[in-house]
Amino acid sequence: MSTASTGAALRRIGLGGITGNRTALFISLGLMALLLLVPMVLPGYQTLFRTILIFVALSYGWNMIGGYTGYVSFGNMVFFGLGSYCAALLSAQHVDNVVADVALAMVVNAAFAALIGLPVLRLKGHYFGIATLGTALAVTDIVGNLDFFGGTGGLKVTQVDEAHFSIYYYAAWLVAAGAIAITFLVARSKLGYAFVAIRENEDAAAVLGISATKYKIIAWAISAAIAGAAGAVYARGNGFIDPSIAFAEDFNVYPIVMTLLGGTGTVAGPFVGALILSGVNELLGHTFLKLHSLFFGAVIVLVVLLLPRGLVWLIGLRGGMRTWLKSLEIYKA
Amino acid sequence: MSVQPAPSTATAAAHEVALRISDVGMRFGGLWALSEVSFDVERGSVVGLIGPNGSGKTTLMNVISGVYKPTTGEVTYAGKRIADVPAHDVCHLGIARTFQIVKPFASLSVRENVAVGAMYGRYGGKRSTRASFERAQELLEIVGLARIADRAASELTIPDRKRLEVAKALALDPDVLLLDEVMAGLNATEVDEALELLRDVNKRGVTLIVVEHLMKAIVSISTTIVVLAEGKKIAQGAPSTVLASPQVIEAYLGSRWVKRQEQLKEIEAQRAEAVRIQPPEATA
Repeated sequence: MSTASTGAALRRIGLGGITGNRTALFISLGLMALLLLVPMVLPGYQTLFRTILIFVALSYGWNMIGGYTGYVSFGNMVFFGLGSYCAALLSAQHVDNVVADVALAMVVNAAFAALIGLPVLRLKGHYFGIATLGTALAVTDIVGNLDFFGGTGGLKVTQVDEAHFSIYYYAAWLVAAGAIAITFLVARSKLGYAFVAIRENEDAAAVLGISATKYKIIAWAISAAIAGAAGAVYARGNGFIDPSIAFAEDFNVYPIVMTLLGGTGTVAGPFVGALILSGVNELLGHTFLKLHSLFFGAVIVLVVLLLPRGLVWLIGLRGGMRTWLKSLEIYKA
Repeated sequence: MSVQPAPSTATAAAHEVALRISDVGMRFGGLWALSEVSFDVERGSVVGLIGPNGSGKTTLMNVISGVYKPTTGEVTYAGKRIADVPAHDVCHLGIARTFQIVKPFASLSVRENVAVGAMYGRYGGKRSTRASFERAQELLEIVGLARIADRAASELTIPDRKRLEVAKALALDPDVLLLDEVMAGLNATEVDEALELLRDVNKRGVTLIVVEHLMKAIVSISTTIVVLAEGKKIAQGAPSTVLASPQVIEAYLGSRWVKRQEQLKEIEAQRAEAVRIQPPEATA
């Protein structure tokens, strides 16, 4: 009875519990396993797929705060940037170990997120979004003006020799896989329920004994740690970091669009979205140099209008076209 | 060394004050939504909190449950001051509430909604996910939502949302349960079912504070009634005495109505007097 009921709750119609649709999750895990083969099968495309994996990780980072607790952050590039600087600074100290980079980046970012989260997470809705954006811009300027971070000139990151270069690919894969695993574990735990309760109604959550401040900070710290780990791996793979690379707007906006496309607040959504959009972006980027940003704009508009719950929700949809139409705000109006 | 006689638990329980509201005032801008409200809630009792719209019932609920911090006064629970305790800690002490405007977690299933309460409520996250879902199942059977436990909470009808609200509050394993208009919008049969449920909950030792507009329901369930009007307590006592009190009638039906009743009574009395003084002609 007990396990059956728990299972039933997770397999709920359409929404599939807070882990999201199972089919989508299995497909994602399968594709993720296939990605492990890239350095052997498609060695020439390693850099491309490494970037995709970094976007996968970043999307999971954003999903934790934006998808699960519903706090839409526009400042997650700060964590990516600080993570990449962690790697660069370790490299300057002649510590050249990607595991150390990731560990330091995660600790520094979780601590930084908790610190700025205390004031910033008291804000709600648009105010929170603007505050995170402001924080991101401020940190970018601070880093760009301090000699300790190499100023605008940037910092060089020592890399391994060409023959062992695929360790950076595997590092990126592990960070992405770790992000998926963390999300899955969180979504299945009491922590996940606390996050979703806060997203759905903060007052009701408080009355049920959930301290909103505490759990929002936890969510943001996890989010920041994941983004930081992605940044550290990116810096090693790139070999050089400056403020315009580390705090690039792409690392902020793309993960949000990717998660929205795949499905916010699900375990498979960010992977699905990141894979599809990175792929399309790469193709378009080769063909039309600047047109791909137009494409991203169009995707944002279409997803918000036609797929507010993302592709993963569409896979688990029962009742076909009618249920889909009924779910649309524009259809209701 | 003498053996102390054990205190009589029966009499102690009968008069033990669970919740003490002393001199509570709540100001919003220039408006005092509550002022100088004081009363005691005995453990195991059912206190009906009534009053016209805007009299401060829900505000008082919010003060007790920690959503608002009162401007003046103090709320004590089991001898402990709780006015400064934030909402998310009040439920750890054993006080639970429902919301008048129901607040289900729309994207979660009915079962999950209740399970969240069981996870975090009384035991502050120490209960396992599995035990929480088991507890949720028990409660859904009690409130009559078991057959739709796997629906999304957003799909529920209003009466079912009210039931869910009660189940969520019960999932906190409360000693004191504040119910804010859980019977509004229910039909006669559903009200009877709800009363049955509340009596059952009360029998298990849960003290109830019930806000309700439905007089029949509140009279039948309450042991004590407290009446608020314009933020002040105007009466307190047994249901029958409170409802007969002229102040209460005035608060509900207006001063003109009371005056009219008094005039009618006077006319009646004068007539009776006239009859008494002037006996019928028959005796002459």
